[in-house]
Amino acid sequence: MNWIRIASVGQLEDDESLAIEVEGKQLALHKTDGELFVSDNICTHQYALLSDGFLEDGCIECPLHQAKFDLRTGRAMCAPATVDVQVYSVKTEGQDIFVGLP
Amino acid sequence: MTTVSSILVAGAGQAAAVAVAALRDQGYGGRIAVVGDEAHAPYERPPLSKSVLAAVGAPEPAISVKDPDFFASQQVDLRLGTQITAIDPAARQATLSDGARLDYDYCLLATGGAARTLPAFPPSSPAVCYLRTLDDARALRGRLQPGTHIVVIGGGFLGLEIASTALSLGVEVSIVETAPRVLARVVPEAFSNWLQRRVELSGAKLHIGQAIADVWLSGSAQAASTIALSNGVQLEARLAAVAVGLSPNTQLARDAGLRIDTATGGILVDEHCRSSDPHIYAAGDCTSQIRAGWTAPLRLESWQNANEQARIAACAMAGRNTTAAAYPWFWTDQFDCNIQMLGLPQDGLEYIVRGSMDPAQAAPRFIMLGLLQGRPRHALAVNAGADLRALRPLLENALPIDPTRFCDEAVTVRAFAKAAQASAAAPN
Repeated sequence: MNWIRIASVGQLEDDESLAIEVEGKQLALHKTDGELFVSDNICTHQYALLSDGFLEDGCIECPLHQAKFDLRTGRAMCAPATVDVQVYSVKTEGQDIFVGLP
Repeated sequence: MTTVSSILVAGAGQAAAVAVAALRDQGYGGRIAVVGDEAHAPYERPPLSKSVLAAVGAPEPAISVKDPDFFASQQVDLRLGTQITAIDPAARQATLSDGARLDYDYCLLATGGAARTLPAFPPSSPAVCYLRTLDDARALRGRLQPGTHIVVIGGGFLGLEIASTALSLGVEVSIVETAPRVLARVVPEAFSNWLQRRVELSGAKLHIGQAIADVWLSGSAQAASTIALSNGVQLEARLAAVAVGLSPNTQLARDAGLRIDTATGGILVDEHCRSSDPHIYAAGDCTSQIRAGWTAPLRLESWQNANEQARIAACAMAGRNTTAAAYPWFWTDQFDCNIQMLGLPQDGLEYIVRGSMDPAQAAPRFIMLGLLQGRPRHALAVNAGADLRALRPLLENALPIDPTRFCDEAVTVRAFAKAAQASAAAPN
């Protein structure tokens, strides 16, 4: 796995998401209940940025049509989304946040 | 309790597909038949006026509610291109347009609605399009030629979506609305004014407060028709796209003697989506539901409502406990804005605004909150869906809020909503 630094810990608060571009990929870094997650940033239903969405209970809800994805598995939890979103490994070293790209 | 072994679904739209999936999820293993008059397996209707209509010279987006093999894999007897012509509630039997008869233990009426038509604009005319079905959308799409002029009759959500999509395809658009403002029944005046200005800035011509005085329809799709308005203006256009509301499909229910809500014209159902016949349920656009917290039955034409009522009806028919329908939520995508609405307008609401209502902004972002005695009952969000989502518990529970703090953009909506919930939960 290829670990790439994408942000520092101080860049986002709880319940916040951050749009990240790395190696041509549009990713979103999320923080909910103190835990960090990284997903693709484009909703699988229609073009919208999940980093503009709503975080709750380990899920991100798309701001356009409330499609909901489990950030641990990427699973599409409800309509209108039917396709899962890609999620990535994430780790922290000191103040640095890294995403693991396959 | 009698064993339920046969469920019949009348209609094959959003509510039908969601109900079938929910029945199987709830462990119901009996027979399911779904009978729908359209040729297509259940599909989502919201994209019809947006991405489906815009797919000129491009592949049409996939809009099936379920995968193509879903119905077969779930042992669902899906009969398309077929209508239920009569239901005999005493015998619990339906008659189909092909002469077949189907017995049922429970019947779910998910018959939806049809585009309301205006006598001056007959659907058979080559100068007229209505939009309700996928076939309608494809026909209308074929008529949206760049540089031509169309008149959209109706300044409701659907009419405005059609206008927005047509403009994006390079079509010239005029919109005629008889009410003094667009979306008059569902949004406050300030919102109508904002949207009207935005529509005009996009290049569409708006004719509001205008009745249609006279219509001369062309007999061919190539020649212009003339539409005369009450103020004397005459519009020449190749096409009139008429979007003046929906008539719920309730004939089957009426013929079967079910109670109809006279105010809304929908099939009257209780909180479990059960009609006046205990073996017949109803879900989606065709229903008027009695709901806790609302003074009158609600007939809601929305994707969310179809899903919610389908889920509730399926649980009830499968003998499971039902949970109440979610707070009404609706979205529309038009004029480069995602507009979402939570709750419904009612008399006496006082609206407050967070953000700037500048119609000229490329990406406007604001929220209007309608308060009744300091408690939010209705919300409109423009390009602020996540913020609206954060506010949902406040509307669901009608929690009191501080208007000044809500409008203070120094505090995030999420933080504001959390604080309002905490303060409502705190003992006095």
